[in-house]
Amino acid sequence: MARDNKITTSSTAEYFSKNLQQVGFSSLTKAVLTTLKEAVDNALDACEEHGILPDLKIIIERLGAGTMKNSERIRVRVEDNGPGIEADDLPKVFGEYLASSKFGRGRCTRGQQGIGISAATTWAQLTCAMGARVISKTKAQRKAVSAIIEVDIKNNRGNMKQRETIDWDRVHGTLVEFTFDGRVQVNGEAGILNYLLGTSLVNPHLSMEYKLVDQEPQSIERVSSVIPAIPEAIEPHPHTMKLGEFMAHSHLYGKIKVDAWLKKAFSRVGDSVLEEMIKSGQGVNRTLLSKSLDQANEKDFLTLFTTLQNMVLKAPPTSSVLSIGEDSLSKSIKRLGKVDFFSVVSRSPTICDFKPVQIEVAIARLEERVTEVDAPAQVLRFANRVPLQFDKSACAIVQAITSVNWRSYGLAQPKESLPLGPYIMAVSVVSPFIKFKNASKETIDASDELVEEIRRALMQAGQKLSRYIKAESKAAELEEKTRYIEQFGPILVEGLVRITKAKDDQKKRATDGLMKILGRDATETKNEVAVAAKRLEEVSGEER
Amino acid sequence: MRRDRSAIKNSIPAISRELCAKLLGDLEKAKRPILYATKCALDNAIYNHKVGYLTPGDKKVATELNVSSVKKMSRAIFMLEVILRNIDSGAVNTKRELYYIGKGEIKGSSKLKPLDFQDQDESDETIDFVCEILECYREDLNCYANDRGGQTYSQQLIVTETLADGEQAVIELSKLGTSPFMPKNRPQNLSLSVSKKIDFCLIVESEGTANTLVANGFTKRHNAIVVGAQGVPSNSVRGWCKLIQEQLKVPLYFFGDLDAYTMQNIYRTLKAGSAASLIRNQDYSAPEVKFLGVLPQDIAKYDLFDYPVKENDAQEVRALKKADDALKNDPFFQDKRNKGSAEILKWLLKNKRRCEQQAFFSVDPKDPTMPEKIIIDKIKSGSYV
Ligand SMILES: Nc1ncnc2c1ncn2[C@@H]1O[C@H](COP(=O)(O)OP(=O)(O)OP(=O)(O)O)[C@@H](O)[C@H]1O
Ligand SMILES: [Mg+2]
Repeated sequence: MARDNKITTSSTAEYFSKNLQQVGFSSLTKAVLTTLKEAVDNALDACEEHGILPDLKIIIERLGAGTMKNSERIRVRVEDNGPGIEADDLPKVFGEYLASSKFGRGRCTRGQQGIGISAATTWAQLTCAMGARVISKTKAQRKAVSAIIEVDIKNNRGNMKQRETIDWDRVHGTLVEFTFDGRVQVNGEAGILNYLLGTSLVNPHLSMEYKLVDQEPQSIERVSSVIPAIPEAIEPHPHTMKLGEFMAHSHLYGKIKVDAWLKKAFSRVGDSVLEEMIKSGQGVNRTLLSKSLDQANEKDFLTLFTTLQNMVLKAPPTSSVLSIGEDSLSKSIKRLGKVDFFSVVSRSPTICDFKPVQIEVAIARLEERVTEVDAPAQVLRFANRVPLQFDKSACAIVQAITSVNWRSYGLAQPKESLPLGPYIMAVSVVSPFIKFKNASKETIDASDELVEEIRRALMQAGQKLSRYIKAESKAAELEEKTRYIEQFGPILVEGLVRITKAKDDQKKRATDGLMKILGRDATETKNEVAVAAKRLEEVSGEER
Repeated sequence: MRRDRSAIKNSIPAISRELCAKLLGDLEKAKRPILYATKCALDNAIYNHKVGYLTPGDKKVATELNVSSVKKMSRAIFMLEVILRNIDSGAVNTKRELYYIGKGEIKGSSKLKPLDFQDQDESDETIDFVCEILECYREDLNCYANDRGGQTYSQQLIVTETLADGEQAVIELSKLGTSPFMPKNRPQNLSLSVSKKIDFCLIVESEGTANTLVANGFTKRHNAIVVGAQGVPSNSVRGWCKLIQEQLKVPLYFFGDLDAYTMQNIYRTLKAGSAASLIRNQDYSAPEVKFLGVLPQDIAKYDLFDYPVKENDAQEVRALKKADDALKNDPFFQDKRNKGSAEILKWLLKNKRRCEQQAFFSVDPKDPTMPEKIIIDKIKSGSYV
């Protein structure tokens, strides 16, 4: 997302409070989901950053009718065992926009901009005149701090109210609670359950307990105790930027010289590249390069920008991406329900559109859905391990899925559509620079290179999957053959015996002979089943 | 060359038992039995003008007993048993009746349940398979279709039918008034004689037009037989025309539309049989029949209404495409003796026009006997192929 440097800090809160629909608050149901999502994302980011295995407790309650039409008063509470937040930082975190420890450059964290949780506070404040209730405790604190944080919309500042010091039987952690107008949608593609299941799939190290409105409390246990290490940040590659972004990027660096800025702020720009820029004779000279960045005018940026665009630059390193891993995915996918079989593929990190990216795919067939043969497969999309639940058709992930010929792997598929059947297809795109189609970050831009990379991962997963499907259909074939022999063998022999008026001993010999012949056929199939099963074992062996 | 039908028919029980004994013997030795049937397809069709109809080549379809064919074979043996019982008692049935008889048997025995027919197609398939492996006609198995067509009018023809109980019935067609005689599906049981010499037999594609010609006095004025084909000739029509050719030795003329479908499906089947019925063409084709028209030159000669083939009519377009295939692959149209028919197909492909038999009624709308006059004129002047 292009950062618009025209938004001054003081008007930022005002801007977002008027444009909450842009950041996920465009409907009552989305308001609930977005609030939950921002809180969970933050908890997971914080735990990861501090090497903590996350334990989350989530409660969503209906408190009665809301003030808005058709709305309900909803309370969302998310508690984590993360590092906790220093009391002085609480107003900043929950009440101030663009205050972030992850601020938008080059890391595969879930949060990127410092907007998410403050937007949730704003929504609660606008609909119920109540800010975020927070309890937080760091390891160093003996007691926890409890407070209400409100957004001072005019000044983009957080206000802390009702601050108290309380006893809290946690070593460290944060509890946030929002009360606001919304509507709870539990099931369906855009439902809360889908979000929670998706989140558990791509976070094998996550344990959580949740209670959604009137449903029974549930818990999901972690299947991995490895905390994903977020690789070091990398700077963006010049070829990934538009002129406006290029200029905006300069504002983060203050008064350094242009050449220092280029080297520091971009990946794959070093001294030799600077030399080449001058040599290429497109208007870049030493004077320009030694100018102070804040003195550079629009024309200077244009010269720098076009020169860089016209040069051949090395692709960025891929060390900055993070992978879930085939092993963890294999374990995690079993948390989605009773799985008949599955396949996972973790591609090596690669470059698409000059951005490092890693694609991972998990496909599972769910036992409890075997009757849903005609329904399209369920697609779970992830961008930096955050589930995407809206606007699926334009998404790079869905376009890649529909472009694969699933029939060749034994799945049913109408032309250029999602395959059918009781399958879940999960695709994770991890990259420090994911390009979204819209501001609410719900659809990944479908560039040709990215779609192709996803497609390859899907095809690999499809191949692995087809071995299960084949083994299964072979087994079914064997079953049917055995049944055929038992059913038709005696009918055939008895018919022949009646027509020829044959004797009993002939009948017995013929029956034995027929069983021998058909038994040979069955043995052949049995062998095929065994071969298919062996091949399968090899595959799962590779996966282990 | 000609096989004696009644001999074949009488030997069906023996042939069946022999076949079943062989199957049983193979099974006793744990050897896979294989059943061979003649391949009935154009690529196994041979045409020799001296023979006059399409005959099978030596390609066979082999059905080996294995897990996938055991159901088909069990069904065949089951159906064979039903049929042998019919032959033994002299009972006859249609395919549909056999379907219900089969279902009735299966209902009575839980053991037979797996054989059950879901629809008539399945039992028809089984009956056809039995015919193929015994190399006989369905009629030899006392199974008769309720064939359509073959309505016959004549003032001279006398038909003698031998009934199942051996008694004979004699039908004088001149005594039937305006009702036609129906040969139905047992031409084998009929023998023909005449009260007066018959000059020719006219087979009309449209049964309605055949009836009109007779109502307007055709058979009063001419010593002739008029037969309505009613579209693609059924076995009954084909066997009946063969009988007329064989026993009366009169010239036969076919009068129908000028279009690819009529030439290829109706006329060719009548004259030389079809690829799907290779094993029965011998008794179900009349090689002497000539194509009287409508001929392409008739359009100009009689100033007939014709019209272009509709490019968007799937059926007509398909017929043209098949005509093209026929010229390339059908041994009948490739034979020099049938050059006349092939030329008509080529003309149809090139001009993409068609003309109906009823167009003859437009020549002199006030004279209802005009079509008759033209037909007689064409026969006399040799205007046919
Ligand atoms: N549960 C938490 N535990 C510890 N620190 C937190 C927690 N929630 C938020 N923070 C801190 O507050 C900052 C602001 O959070 P916020 O959600 O506004 O922005 P973000 O997560 O960086 O980006 P985004 O707007 O994309 O969500 C985070 O960067 C993080 O440092
Ligand atoms: Mg956040």
